[in-house]
Amino acid sequence: MLNRDQTAAPSLRPSNDVGRAEALERLSAIAGPWLEILGKSGVALTATDARAPGDTIIFANAAFEALTGFASAEIVGRSSGFLHAEDTDPATLARLHSAIAQNGSATADILNRRRDGASFWNRVSITTIRDAEGLPAFHLASQADVTSEYVLESRNQELRRSRQKLDEAQERLRLAQVSAAAAGAWEWDIATNRLIVDARFARIYGLEPTPADLPAAAFFKPIHEDDRMRMRIAVAGALQGAEVFARDFRVVVQGEVRWVSARGRTYLDAEEKPLRFAGVLTDITEQRKVEERLYIAQTAGGVGSFEYLSGYGTADVSGEFCRLLGLRPAQSLPVRTINSVVHPEDQAIIQNRDGQMAAGTAFHECRITRADTGEERWLASRGEYRRAVGGGVIFAGVIYDVTTIKRSEAQLRVLTESLEERVELRTQERDRVWNLSRDLLNVIGPDGLQKSVNPAWTALLGFERSELVGSSMDRLVHPDELNNLTFQLAALRRGESISDFDIRLRSKDGSYRWVSWTGIAEDGTIYGIGRDVTQRKLLEDQLRQSQKMEAVGQLTGGLAHDFNNMLTGIIGGIDMARRRISQGRLHDVDRYLDAAVKSGQRAAALTHRLLAFSRRQTLDSRPLDVSTLVQSVEDLLRRSLGEGIQLAIHVGPELWPAVADESQLESAILNLAINARDAMPDGGQLTITLQNSPLSATDLSDADVATAGDFVEICVKDTGCGMAPEVLARAFDPFYTTKPVGQGTGLGLSMIYGFVQQSRGHIKIVSETGKGTEIRLFLPRFQGELSTGDESIAGPAVLGTGETVLVVEDDPSVRLVVLQVLGELGYDAIETEGGKEAVPILQSRRRIDLLVTDVGLPGLNGRQIAEIAREHRPDLPVLFMTGYAKDASEQSQFLMEGMEIIKKPFSVDDFGQRIDFILRGSARD
Amino acid sequence: MTAQAATLEDMERDALTELVNIGVSRAAVSLRKMVGQQVLLSVPSLEVVSRSGAITLIREREYGQMVAVRQDFDGAFSGRALLIFPESNSLAMVRAVAGESLTLEEAAAIENEALAETGNIVLNSCLATMANMLKQPLTMSLPEVLRSNGSLLFESRRPETDGGIVLFLYINFAINNHDIRGYISMLMDLPSIQALRLLISEFIRQVMGEEI
Repeated sequence: MLNRDQTAAPSLRPSNDVGRAEALERLSAIAGPWLEILGKSGVALTATDARAPGDTIIFANAAFEALTGFASAEIVGRSSGFLHAEDTDPATLARLHSAIAQNGSATADILNRRRDGASFWNRVSITTIRDAEGLPAFHLASQADVTSEYVLESRNQELRRSRQKLDEAQERLRLAQVSAAAAGAWEWDIATNRLIVDARFARIYGLEPTPADLPAAAFFKPIHEDDRMRMRIAVAGALQGAEVFARDFRVVVQGEVRWVSARGRTYLDAEEKPLRFAGVLTDITEQRKVEERLYIAQTAGGVGSFEYLSGYGTADVSGEFCRLLGLRPAQSLPVRTINSVVHPEDQAIIQNRDGQMAAGTAFHECRITRADTGEERWLASRGEYRRAVGGGVIFAGVIYDVTTIKRSEAQLRVLTESLEERVELRTQERDRVWNLSRDLLNVIGPDGLQKSVNPAWTALLGFERSELVGSSMDRLVHPDELNNLTFQLAALRRGESISDFDIRLRSKDGSYRWVSWTGIAEDGTIYGIGRDVTQRKLLEDQLRQSQKMEAVGQLTGGLAHDFNNMLTGIIGGIDMARRRISQGRLHDVDRYLDAAVKSGQRAAALTHRLLAFSRRQTLDSRPLDVSTLVQSVEDLLRRSLGEGIQLAIHVGPELWPAVADESQLESAILNLAINARDAMPDGGQLTITLQNSPLSATDLSDADVATAGDFVEICVKDTGCGMAPEVLARAFDPFYTTKPVGQGTGLGLSMIYGFVQQSRGHIKIVSETGKGTEIRLFLPRFQGELSTGDESIAGPAVLGTGETVLVVEDDPSVRLVVLQVLGELGYDAIETEGGKEAVPILQSRRRIDLLVTDVGLPGLNGRQIAEIAREHRPDLPVLFMTGYAKDASEQSQFLMEGMEIIKKPFSVDDFGQRIDFILRGSARD
Repeated sequence: MTAQAATLEDMERDALTELVNIGVSRAAVSLRKMVGQQVLLSVPSLEVVSRSGAITLIREREYGQMVAVRQDFDGAFSGRALLIFPESNSLAMVRAVAGESLTLEEAAAIENEALAETGNIVLNSCLATMANMLKQPLTMSLPEVLRSNGSLLFESRRPETDGGIVLFLYINFAINNHDIRGYISMLMDLPSIQALRLLISEFIRQVMGEEI
């Protein structure tokens, strides 16, 4: 190669370009022997003509030939850029050229191509040689193959990429940003302490337009105050030989803070001294924002993330992940370390599922023992399996602490269990109450059927549980109270609660027990508690009975006085009559006897009323004119009421006749008047109104026996104190009285009620506290004309015609009178004391035309004697005499065809007329 | 004297990291020469922990047996330096350094020797870099190779003066396309830490002194 300089000119020989030869001569003239020396050196050199278009090569040495593979002849005359490959960076070239134009010299690494096509990195250093005028004449370029540096650089890239996986993700983002033209390059020449940056670096650093080179200090200028110290230390390391440089920091450009990532290398010279510090700068502001958000999300949310590639021993983790496990913060942890904190019975956090599961989500919870404190915590892991690009499976996910939730769950579970226990206990207690209660307990479903009953039912009523459950209570309730029960159940279903509701329930042996109920309904189901009050009811009956006895005592006391008066009248009258007869003063006799009879009749009326009190009277209902009756008692009323009370009687026009027992009605009106008087202690107004009153079925909806039709109304109205609702509700109850003990029997309204019911009438009561009371009696209208005159005083007795009458009477005086009367009336009478004597006679063939018998007899009673008589003499008429019509209160049921009844006491005329009616009336029909 | 006094400030840690970086880069130069391959070493971060903390750290981050090259040093600051590899990385390291053509058996045969040599280069470079900064002499013992699951590694030179700290650094070896992870640890007692801080502050002062 040395011989080449010998033939320096010829060596630039083959050029047929004269201009080029001249140029070379000019170059030799300027460069002198340097050119020769350089040509011989091992450094590849070219010289180009700066004035020629295309900067043509006029000289290339042997080293250059060796470097490029081109022979000198092939080189000279070509453009300086003939080695450039397709992928040579035009920006680098442009920078190179502009640097040469500005400074006269420049160095750049350019990707070039050898003759054989192989590319290499050519570090080109170009110096401008100027002529005498100072104008660029030639460019001298040294060339060096620096490919190895670039290979190293690419390895360095690999190294970086193969670092932590999280870094890798960051790196990917970074690379993406690089490709998005956010990366800028710098080169720091350590010897000169100058900094060369590219346009993108300049843009990031806010240096516009791009300066050609800078003092090295410019590298720190825009760095955020907080990062500057750190960066100066880091760069100091790099400048002193630390080869690998990787730092993220903030720059402040025009007030805006941006995060940048610097990745660089320090290149050493042959003596291993730091030569250059070069690298790339990337704007990672957005990435940092995302990372910070992720970091905040992880720390604030207590969520740790991990990523694991199957087959590897370590997993990438976040700081929060480590914190959750109580491990020291790391970016990567061995899977075994991670899983070692997991409770042995629980599923591991990271499971090697290589080949088992290619994709999909996974969720599980596990207990861990924190590595630092040893505390047991619950973690939840939620992750996703997905195929990795290079094969294998990536399991990435998050973990978070669920201890609180788990503990709450556990507490809740304990609570629930204990609640169940408590409920169980409560149920047992309730069951005990249910089972041990002596009260009847039952549950009635919305269908009205009993869903359950307690054992007390069996104890009280004798029915087995199975006989009661599924059936209605109606089956057991006394027929009289069925309506009441229905009513009460309906009230319960409306949401009202009931208490002290007494009904009788039938027990298995047929007897009834009084049960007082309390009930409540819930959601259509009725819960009832019933207490056996039969004993109480018995006591009440006894009390009532004793009260009744007291009342009777009161009554009899008063009545005895009247009776004695009346008896005095009778006995005295008869006595006087007898005396007059013995004296022969017969004209006076009738007067005394009339007085005696009148007294007797008054006594008879009194006993009749007495019987009414015991409700054992025989009602003698017949048509009557109510107004006549009222007027007849008006005097008595006025006297009873006293002066403080005004009595007014209003009689409606054309008042209908009614059907009722006259004396009972009279007594009822008197009773009402007395009640009214007692309600008006300070005086007031009593009004009795009589009027016709047709009642419809609606009017009578609450009536027991009355049916729609015409009625005669007797309204008794006072201006007294009235009755409270609770009093009103019980007004008709027997023995219910508001009067002080001894002042009333409580029988009044009850008796009236009974009488009206018996008369097929109706009673209404309207009263309010302080507003008086109005009681309206409705008696059925008599359809027809009233016969005038009193049947009871209907003419003298009719004489008999020798008929035979069998008399059965145990009372000798009555028997005597009856026999005397019969004898006087012209009948043959057979006298017997009772069934013993009478029956043989009745069974004999003796003539008997009529049987007259007392009802109440020792041994066979009158009714039985009559039956025996009818066996032998089916057509024998019978007349019963009775003073006490227990069995005959409803005559129609007691009497058969051809039987009559006459109440004691009776007058001789009554008796005679009755016998005549029986014997001849029937015969006449 | 507890960890608090021994704790380094952020800036001091950064400076120390750079010092070690300079040191390992020098080691890389030596290794390049030795193996004739591209070698890059870097230390991305440094943690200052107690001895027990260091044991926990290594146990958490590595599972199983560790191999370490240990050298004691004396001078302006004294202590123990370790280059630690997970056992699994150790053979890879040996093969990367000694040649890919080695079989596993061959690599195992020279493992200790190769490790000791590598460790010696790395640790020496680091400590020498630091000592040079202080312009103080530093002597180092011969390297020894240890195998342990952790606790043994951080045994103090003078067990009676416990309470020292451990400088704990990750180190990445990039050798001939292999990426090998390891740790550098320096166990120092408190006086040494104080001396080290002097060195660090000198470095910082120097950096700050450069009017840039």
